[in-house]
Amino acid sequence: MSRSLLRTLLALVALVAAFGLAACGGGDESDTGGGEGGGTPAQGDTAGANITEQLFAGSAMDNRQNPDQGKKGGKLTVLAAGDVDYMDPGKTYYTYAIGIINATHRGLYAYLPGSTEQAVPDLADGDPQISQDGKTVTVKLKQGVMFSKPVSREVTSADVKYAIERAFTASVANGYARVYFGDLVGAPEDPGPYRPIEGIETPDDQTIVFRLSKGTGAALAGALAMPISVPVPKDYALRYDRENPSTYDQHMVFTGPYMVENDGNGNITGYTAGKRIHLVRNPDYAAVDDFRPAYLDEIEISAGNEDTAVATRRILSGENMASGDLEPPSNQLKRLLETNKTELSVVPGGGWRMISMDTSRPPFDDINVRKAVIAGFDRVAARQQRGGEALGPIAQHFIPPGMAGFEESGGAEPDPEFDWLQNPDGDRALSAEYFRKAGMESGKYEGNANLLLVADNAEPERSIAQITEQQLREMGFQTTLRLVTRDTMFTRFCNVPRSEVNVCPSVGWAQDFADPQTMLDPTFNGNNIIETQNSNWPELDVPAINRAIEQAKLVTDPDERAQAWADVNRQIVAQAPSIPYMWDYQAVVASPNVRGVQNGYSTTWDWNFTSIR
Amino acid sequence: MALYIARRLAGMVLLLIAVSAITFIIFNVFPSTDPALLRAGRQPTPELIESIRRDLGLDRPLPVQFADWIYNVFFHLDFGRSYQTNQDVRDLILDDLPATISLAAGAVVIWLAVGLTVGIVSAVRRGTLLDRVAMSLSLVAISATPYWLGLVALYLFAPDFGVFGLPFVGGQGSYTPLTEDPVQWLKSLILPWLVLATSFAAIYARLLRGSLLDVMGQDYIRTARAKGLPERAVVLRHGVRSAITPVVTVLGLDIGILLGGAILTESVFNIQGIGRLAYDAITRGDLPIVQGTVLFGAFFIVIMNLIVDIAYAFLDPRVRY
Repeated sequence: MSRSLLRTLLALVALVAAFGLAACGGGDESDTGGGEGGGTPAQGDTAGANITEQLFAGSAMDNRQNPDQGKKGGKLTVLAAGDVDYMDPGKTYYTYAIGIINATHRGLYAYLPGSTEQAVPDLADGDPQISQDGKTVTVKLKQGVMFSKPVSREVTSADVKYAIERAFTASVANGYARVYFGDLVGAPEDPGPYRPIEGIETPDDQTIVFRLSKGTGAALAGALAMPISVPVPKDYALRYDRENPSTYDQHMVFTGPYMVENDGNGNITGYTAGKRIHLVRNPDYAAVDDFRPAYLDEIEISAGNEDTAVATRRILSGENMASGDLEPPSNQLKRLLETNKTELSVVPGGGWRMISMDTSRPPFDDINVRKAVIAGFDRVAARQQRGGEALGPIAQHFIPPGMAGFEESGGAEPDPEFDWLQNPDGDRALSAEYFRKAGMESGKYEGNANLLLVADNAEPERSIAQITEQQLREMGFQTTLRLVTRDTMFTRFCNVPRSEVNVCPSVGWAQDFADPQTMLDPTFNGNNIIETQNSNWPELDVPAINRAIEQAKLVTDPDERAQAWADVNRQIVAQAPSIPYMWDYQAVVASPNVRGVQNGYSTTWDWNFTSIR
Repeated sequence: MALYIARRLAGMVLLLIAVSAITFIIFNVFPSTDPALLRAGRQPTPELIESIRRDLGLDRPLPVQFADWIYNVFFHLDFGRSYQTNQDVRDLILDDLPATISLAAGAVVIWLAVGLTVGIVSAVRRGTLLDRVAMSLSLVAISATPYWLGLVALYLFAPDFGVFGLPFVGGQGSYTPLTEDPVQWLKSLILPWLVLATSFAAIYARLLRGSLLDVMGQDYIRTARAKGLPERAVVLRHGVRSAITPVVTVLGLDIGILLGGAILTESVFNIQGIGRLAYDAITRGDLPIVQGTVLFGAFFIVIMNLIVDIAYAFLDPRVRY
């Protein structure tokens, strides 16, 4: 008997331990020593040259210039690694989901495949009109756009008003509503039950007016390209929104050419979380002045294809297939460019990757130590782990290519005044100079600090973390590297200032929409340092920069705004808060008989323009 | 026997509560993902985070959270709802269970057929070339993890991109429920069954071989031979019947563990089973799903262990309850 009990207990302990260990991620990896990937050779490119687009010339990337040359009909199978975060446009905050929402719903504004700099009117009938003081934004809506069954009526401005109001409720709990719409007059401070917002007015069915307490209309206008502006019929959705969390996503109605399959009464049947999304034609779709050719008859999205090498191979050797949220493996990309170039495409990811240093405490509270680290750091080696030059240039500042303010920031070249950024391969002599300026005569770090590095335990982040650790050790630092799951890294360490992580090698940021505010305000504004879910990872808190950011938010003229944010960008780079190593591109892959068109905003294939040959 | 079973079942409940408590403690004491932050997105206000935490019930004291969960499980069979998708955990588990049962059942049949056969032949032909080759191959098979073996199998035999694409097997993501299309179900599981069964077959072959060699040296086997019984009857009726006891013991636990999810095999073949469900939940910090799947796994282990103990009574005349 006792043997039997012992057996059972042992098996149960093994089971719980397996789950527990997986949950906790890797343990303390201080002895890894790091650096097995650190010896990657320099790529030989100049710091800013955009070799990515040269390498991909002649690929399906070119289809973005003539996206509407597809053929009608056919079913596309999409292989995805993961799932959307939410199907509800009021909840989602994930570009992969936005790509699907863009095919099933019409928001006020949207991005065409070939343009990432400016959204175009979709449900809106023209550009947003921003008042001189930036406190009023007016948008006119098109007539004749219809909701699918069972609502089956024309969309009005009240539906857009409700969509934004519900985003502030506890049951929808939108993650960015307060960031871009928080200055609306009467916007709720706390999430709670549904409350109308006084600052959203609908003088008629085709006009919506946003009134703000501050002149932040430019950011609000830009955010109207996010899914929060997808109309939601209050008379139909309110009963679902009264549940917490809202169950509207199980009963959604659609305005786009596609819809998630339903039972005819509005109950969604084509979505199983974590498994599949089945898009079919929306029979009630009214193509009023719509840019979407919507060639395909049907799109079946299958999740769970986590091995990207296998998924890529299936797609390339199959027919009617395309990648969803997964990318071809970066270490195979160069080979694939030789063998399957026309099945690949790439767009700028609208963001950057960096290795952040905590500027709020020693040793990185000394700007010369930070400059020394950046100067001596081999950024090419870090980039190499993410696919090298094929997947993006070395980042020199924090406004990515294709965004207003990029050229004003000096484009892809490093600012000549910032000598610590001049050599992406690392300049140890210059690094030594900065260490000496910090009072370390040996030209290396001489303090006793043991740096805590916390990184994602999955590749390529693991290798990048090991490279970082190795280089820091070469500069004289003692280090402890802790590898954990990605979500744990963010929610327990890097996003939590009190966890006192010195270096986060696995962080990056991508745009919410094409405006530099979305790149610089959450990540470098000292006023945005919060106790949890903090994304100002370097904890940079420079009053002059904070003030410049608050002023730039109020600029409404596009050219002046670009310049204002470029100036902010320059001030941030001058503080050397982190090691920017890549403006990464997003690659996608499709079967040879698929004419894929990639969208520069969602960075996935654009399901409205992709077709079967 | 009835009293014995009743006592074991009562013990099982306590054991399951203990397993749940350990899982709960691991997830709440050690650093793992904060589900409220995951749900809040990347730029939430502190008020939004608090609101989500409240809605998920994470603002209550930990003992209260755990006691509520246990009460609902044992009195209402309510495993709670996913933090991320708000789906009913019991429904999620029951939806994915058929795939895991399909995978485990087929693999068990294959590994028993192959493992036991090889084990018996190796024991009977001990020291021959056949025995050496079989045992060497079994070492290789034990060393090959299912994930790696699965990838190799796909690269070689997957009908869509394998080098020697076999039309009668399914590839990655081809799993179809038995009730939908039995032929496709069979095709989709051939490779996963073989992959999952490989290392188990090797372990069972070595286990049975060792056990059978011990038994074949016993006095009663010599007696059986002396009585003039054919060698086949000596081996199968007297030798294997005794030697199989440790195999049955391990088999019970293996089946129990597999029904709790074959994470690696399910992952490489993209089969949406309990293992995948648990793995995805772990990476998202979705504790209700983790708790549910661990409890299910533990339940199967305990039940299979009970079945094994009952089976002893039939296999071994010396065992009485």
